[in-house]
Amino acid sequence: MEKKPPPVESVDCRAASRLLSIAYDRKLSAVESESLTYHLDRCLMCRNFDSQLKFLHRASEKYRSGNG
Amino acid sequence: MPPAPTLSDPRFAEIEGHRPYLMRYALSQLRDGQLAEEAVQECLLAALEGVQGFGGRSSLRTWLTSILRFKVIDLQRRAIAERNQVELTDYAAETGDEGWLDQLFDETGHWREAPSAWGDPEAAFEQGRFWEIFEGCLDKLPAAGARVFFKREIVGEDTEEICKGEGISASNCWVILHRARLALRLCLEKNWFGKEASSR
Repeated sequence: MEKKPPPVESVDCRAASRLLSIAYDRKLSAVESESLTYHLDRCLMCRNFDSQLKFLHRASEKYRSGNG
Repeated sequence: MPPAPTLSDPRFAEIEGHRPYLMRYALSQLRDGQLAEEAVQECLLAALEGVQGFGGRSSLRTWLTSILRFKVIDLQRRAIAERNQVELTDYAAETGDEGWLDQLFDETGHWREAPSAWGDPEAAFEQGRFWEIFEGCLDKLPAAGARVFFKREIVGEDTEEICKGEGISASNCWVILHRARLALRLCLEKNWFGKEASSR
């Protein structure tokens, strides 16, 4: 496997959760998304949180249309 | 009091069933319970009058929302004209510092309670009980959080538009949304996906 150097700015779960949320509201900068990807690759909890945000987003869409 | 809607209309119950959603929509836009109530009432009456013209090309909820949107804009105009300015809510608790994050993350920045895997969460969409819990969780958000989340994720408004409407900076908007999403996921985990919920 190719070894990638750690990102310029490393983030913890607290900062990663912030970036994951912000990604729904604006485009992340290159540095931000690099740090985020690096963290997600190593953190199952934040990957779970990521999936949960996706779910919230989908549920909101469904809720808007009247969820059938 | 507006006249009672024609209860004999077969679509009445169906339209009425969307009232809780419409009320949340109106509250997210108007901030004032009484005005929101008024907007929804006017919307439902207009909907009953015009339901024959509803072709079913969009969902009923989408159609009702488009009627409500006009009522809301109308009421906003009237409110601004009458009272000069709709009162602004206190944002101090919502913005400024992010100290509230300390409840969820420890000193080293790790989750205090790890988010768990939710399996196949979208199966929940088919269950009426899930939507009751979803609405309950929305209602538990702090007022500004509920409003901004509703506009952003449910209505799908532009972030910039929302910030302008709320009279706050973009970064405060992001803080409010971050907090709302964390609170919602926690609420759903507790009440729907979690061990506590499934053991019930």
